[in-house]
Amino acid sequence: MSRGVLLFAFNNPKFNYYEMAVATARRANHFLGLPVTIVTDESSVPNDCDYTFDKTILIDPDKNNIRDYNVWINKGRYQAYVLSPYDETILLDTDYMINSDTLLKTFDIYDDFCCHDTTSFLMHPGVPQEVLSAYSFKTMWATVVTFRKTERARQIFECLKMVQDNYDHYANIHSFVGGVYRNDYALTLALRIVNGHTDNKQDIIPWNLVHVGKNTSVHRNAEEEFNTEFTVIYDSWKRGKIKKEYITLTGTDFHTMNKANFMELIK
Amino acid sequence: MNTASLITDAKARFSHNSAKAYLKDKFSSKLIVAEQGGLWTASPALISFLSVQTPFTIDDNVIVIDNFDNPVQVDGKALLKKLQDTYNTVMNEWHAEWASLESKR
Repeated sequence: MSRGVLLFAFNNPKFNYYEMAVATARRANHFLGLPVTIVTDESSVPNDCDYTFDKTILIDPDKNNIRDYNVWINKGRYQAYVLSPYDETILLDTDYMINSDTLLKTFDIYDDFCCHDTTSFLMHPGVPQEVLSAYSFKTMWATVVTFRKTERARQIFECLKMVQDNYDHYANIHSFVGGVYRNDYALTLALRIVNGHTDNKQDIIPWNLVHVGKNTSVHRNAEEEFNTEFTVIYDSWKRGKIKKEYITLTGTDFHTMNKANFMELIK
Repeated sequence: MNTASLITDAKARFSHNSAKAYLKDKFSSKLIVAEQGGLWTASPALISFLSVQTPFTIDDNVIVIDNFDNPVQVDGKALLKKLQDTYNTVMNEWHAEWASLESKR
């Protein structure tokens, strides 16, 4: 059984996702000991890159998604099942900072598909879990998805495509904002549809996805490439003034929502 | 600029509450074990149950509900040993990191 990591990375005018993918791939090689395949487009591949992916798959991406006045090329994630060259795949967002071998545990705990359904925000303990809308489901997260090539996993990814193609319809049914396509929402719906509109505990990674929110910045504590110690600083508003608060992290994977911060971390 | 001077210059205060929550997240995940066809959390409750139950079973076989709500027949002694080892290792690490955070200002 072959195992590997799959990353989707398409540059937009604001961020170099390919560069993020290279940094994440190096860390996946180092901490997980797994090969990494990248799915990208021709215009994102730089001429001078000293890192070689296990495989580079070039596709023509769907650029029809706008977020914060920028093209956000996140559609087409459903192709992971077909494009992955591995029997067992960890599909990751490129801005996921790997600092441990924790993700390898997902291979031990799943049947053929698993993702996170709970998150925790650093510096914001106790923040409620995100839901699609006030009367809808708890959001699943497409940041980390581990899957095996089985018939059921294929159905989940096909269903993801169906939800993506009919996103506004599902947004209407579930009362969430449909203008910007989100893989998290599409995955939430696809997984429920394939599971017969029920929850399946065995599809859930049994620990929280750690997020670094937008008003929080992360700094490396050492310059070495595979540094695992970080300081997280947060601007806390108290009595009309900003008070800075911090904590230190060691050996913890986290997902950075602030892409600019992630770019600073990998420099 | 290194992080130590960044913290000093910004007069940042160490957030004990956030650090405590972060440690709980970090180490709770390490307490989860996949063993003998089930998924388990090395919790005091499960360890206590196996400690009490195993001596009264034939061939050490016990049926336990795992984290996915499946009844799984396990070798109670072997699972107990695995869970105790995991619990002790993780709690020692958790305590050590918590103690070092507690000393911060």
